[in-house]
Amino acid sequence: MFKVNEIKELIRAVDKSGIGELEIRGENKEKLTIKKEVSAAATVSTGEPKETAPAPQPSAPLPAASAEPKEEAPAPVSKENDTAADETLHKITSPMVGTFYRSPSPEADPYVKEGDKVSEETIVCIVEAMKLMNELEAETSGEIVEILVENGELVEYGQPLFLVK
Amino acid sequence: MRSKLLQLLTSTDSFISGQEISNILGISRTAVWKHIEELRKNGYELEALPRKGYRLLRTPNLASADEIKAQLTTKRIGQNIVYKKAVASTQETAHEQARNGAPEGTIVVADEQLAGKGRLGRNWYSPPGSGLWSSLILRPDIPPHKAPQLTLLTAVAVVEGIREVTGLGSQIKWPNDILLHGKKTAGILTEMQSDPDRIQAVIIGVGMNVNQEAFPEELAETATSLRIEAGGTVYSRAELIAAMLKRFEHWYDHYLMNGFPEIRERWEALTVTIGKEITATTLTKTIKGYAEGITEDGVLILKKSDGTLEHIYSADITL
Repeated sequence: MFKVNEIKELIRAVDKSGIGELEIRGENKEKLTIKKEVSAAATVSTGEPKETAPAPQPSAPLPAASAEPKEEAPAPVSKENDTAADETLHKITSPMVGTFYRSPSPEADPYVKEGDKVSEETIVCIVEAMKLMNELEAETSGEIVEILVENGELVEYGQPLFLVK
Repeated sequence: MRSKLLQLLTSTDSFISGQEISNILGISRTAVWKHIEELRKNGYELEALPRKGYRLLRTPNLASADEIKAQLTTKRIGQNIVYKKAVASTQETAHEQARNGAPEGTIVVADEQLAGKGRLGRNWYSPPGSGLWSSLILRPDIPPHKAPQLTLLTAVAVVEGIREVTGLGSQIKWPNDILLHGKKTAGILTEMQSDPDRIQAVIIGVGMNVNQEAFPEELAETATSLRIEAGGTVYSRAELIAAMLKRFEHWYDHYLMNGFPEIRERWEALTVTIGKEITATTLTKTIKGYAEGITEDGVLILKKSDGTLEHIYSADITL
């Protein structure tokens, strides 16, 4: 399967090249496609090899294993970031296990939306456990580019909640 | 004018009509009514009956800093008292105090909370002098993810404090509602100011219905007060706060030294939630199941009909 570094290198190569799309197959026939939009933004998608029969030999990787590159691949890369998105974006993580709320009450507007500018002390959400409400501050300044959790969802200790750039 | 009205009311144990007051003081019936309302706002309890008039039942039972201090036997919890006649909410005031560096153990007490007033409707007013509204500031040196245990600890302290002063045996509904005969008599809401790995402040709000005589229709099924459950006895809020803080300090010191296990046992002995079929309603779903117990962090464990276990961190519980 592809290593994250290999994928990053390929993205850079495609980005700088004149080609619009690159499709290659790895050792286990897993497919990696890197497409460049007209705007020069590169996107990455990987998938299971379509023709491969489900694990004929006992030594073959389990079907789940062939899907793994999906998780390892960086999220869609925008044109401003020709390196992996995860490295340049700041993650706001949960300090505890609990329920994630985007607003102070179900009727109220969310604390922040994608695209909002935040500063260190901007409250971005509440995590609740046993009626203890923990209002999380951004602890960084920038712009919320992605909200990774749905309102009302249970979040784990250390789980990323927001991406900030 | 109001002091004259008070003189008039305190001069007799029987009723005095609005018309009489109006004649004696030389003011209109409307003005009399306004002054009576003003007295009520200041904690005076007045009975009003059609055709009979007004009668003074009780002068304010204040929970001011001096009155609490006179009862307090703790070493540090509650030793710094911030008393306010009226605030939007004691939580809000406590947050400000905490941000400005108030020490651990500071308690904000108010005679009246104004926020939420509209929600309760026009016909119901929580007169000053009836409830115990307080927020305690803590600065424990524990990891933030342990802080929810403090909310269960507080529930234990409130139950024990109520028992000490009133003899009433209240019970806990997970995680920390305090019930008397199945109706809510106190609630606990906790908020935390924290960095990712360090607690700045934990602010524990305790609201207790103490001397309310009745609740509006929409709350009467679910809410009660110590006074109602005790058959009319009026309690000193200062004494209740002091007793609660004493029990809190006991368990808090124990917690900082020995952790949660013994508090969990005590909580389990005082709860009505465990060992029953219950319904947990969260923002996204409703789960029915048998409440098996709580984890070492205070998380409720529900066993569903298919035998699987569900851990509940936040929900409204119906028994």
